[in-house]
Amino acid sequence: MANMIQAEVPERLWRQAEALVQQGWASDLQEVVNESLRRYLESHQDVLAEQLIREDVAWGLRGED
Amino acid sequence: MARTDGPPVVADAGPLIHLDELSALDVIGDYAEVWVPEAVWREVERHRPQALQHQGVRLVKRRVGRVPERVKAVAALHTLHMGERDALALCVAEAVGVILTDDTAARLAAKTLDLAAHGTLGLLIRSVRRGLRTPVEVIALLEAVPALTTLHIRPSLLNEIVAELRSEWRVSGR
Repeated sequence: MANMIQAEVPERLWRQAEALVQQGWASDLQEVVNESLRRYLESHQDVLAEQLIREDVAWGLRGED
Repeated sequence: MARTDGPPVVADAGPLIHLDELSALDVIGDYAEVWVPEAVWREVERHRPQALQHQGVRLVKRRVGRVPERVKAVAALHTLHMGERDALALCVAEAVGVILTDDTAARLAAKTLDLAAHGTLGLLIRSVRRGLRTPVEVIALLEAVPALTTLHIRPSLLNEIVAELRSEWRVSGR
């Protein structure tokens, strides 16, 4: 099932997305939006964030600087 | 504690804003210099201009020249904002090994580039190790994070961290 969203996109970002499609790097704007969202979600997973914060806490406690 | 003679660090906007929201920007005052890329400087100026006026921290606005190709690639992979990308570029171009950031994607990108990344929580906890703050002060600051800052952290995770620190530092609970 797909969901519809309505969002405001800054002009510059929109032009860059359109250019990607025109140059053949993506089949259409739908693909650009989906791929952008997928990559963002991949790099902002809760488990990753937690692991990095825990590493930061360990460094704060026992780092060497 | 006086400033170190050590190498500078590069800051993204997050820690500057969040530490200032806690009135605790002084915990990075012992770094010899904190380099702030122009894009990050503008971001902080927009959201928390007073953070740039702190007398106890040597913030240095730095222009970022050509962004190295590997930084461009990593930034694209992790969908980084310009400030985050420029902070990483400054690290790589000037051989600075530490970036201060709270952004998960920027931290991942830093790992890829073999840079150390530290955030608001780590810097607060470090301040005890560096003799800048007491354990009781830092625990109070950590507990104030949800109310006083725009830093996003799962409340239960923050509670776990505070409990661990209380145990580590032998500070009793309220």
